[in-house]
Amino acid sequence: MRFHLIDRIESWEPDRHITARKVTSVTETTWRPGPDGPELPFGLALEALCQTGSWLFLLSTGHRRRAALLGVDQVTEYGRVRPGDTLRMSADVVGRHEEAAVLDGTVSVDGRPVLRAEGIMCALIDAERLDDPADTARMAEALLGGRPV
Amino acid sequence: MTDLTTAPPAAVSDRGFDRVLQFEAGSHAVAVRNVPGTHAWFATHFPRRPVLPGVLLLEDLAELAALVCADGAREWRLSGVRTMRFRHFVGPGDQVELRVRVTGAGADSRDLRAEARVDGRTVATARRLTLTRREAP
Repeated sequence: MRFHLIDRIESWEPDRHITARKVTSVTETTWRPGPDGPELPFGLALEALCQTGSWLFLLSTGHRRRAALLGVDQVTEYGRVRPGDTLRMSADVVGRHEEAAVLDGTVSVDGRPVLRAEGIMCALIDAERLDDPADTARMAEALLGGRPV
Repeated sequence: MTDLTTAPPAAVSDRGFDRVLQFEAGSHAVAVRNVPGTHAWFATHFPRRPVLPGVLLLEDLAELAALVCADGAREWRLSGVRTMRFRHFVGPGDQVELRVRVTGAGADSRDLRAEARVDGRTVATARRLTLTRREAP
């Protein structure tokens, strides 16, 4: 399974704000059993938000910089994510320097927040160190244009 | 050195921990999770530099914390994190030593301090993981 926890970018404003979504399916292997059935692990909901933020900086820098997670000040879970839910991620930049950034963000399902993270700190590193630029460009096109990744 | 103050639940090995070095129910635990190069996530995280996603370290620490807090008919689930820091990349071949210790208790919640190490070097810390109690599935 690919570690891509974002399917579409719905809006973005360079170095300021981004919204994105991820659909979930019972066919995915990431679910954990809970009292009321399968649920998405806390860390993967957080990862969906972090990947959304990472894409904001990839897009804002012409794919030159990718965010690497350094830490997070506070994360709180407010609800569960079930198979079939659509996650909507919204992230705002609250601090930006040449090689680092800080974001706050929320993951929601059907308009209700399920996870809120504040003080997501990331290093903005050379994207070519991590992935082939051509693959990054194809992924960006798919996320923005709606074609399958 | 193995130091099992109390026997860990059988679930420890079922939850992805490869060794349990210390376990005292309700107090603390130290466990090892190996990171083989066959890990499925490495194909995409990242193609040119495989790195274990930091959130998976968080999930492992939370899983171990839940086992320490386990008390029979109910289970414990991560509901909050304060001051999590990722200091070094973890990659293929690493053996991650996960350490959790209970620091506070409420009626239906537990707070734990958590740390992950590789070869004695701290790679991640959480000042506070909060787990809340609920009915087991």
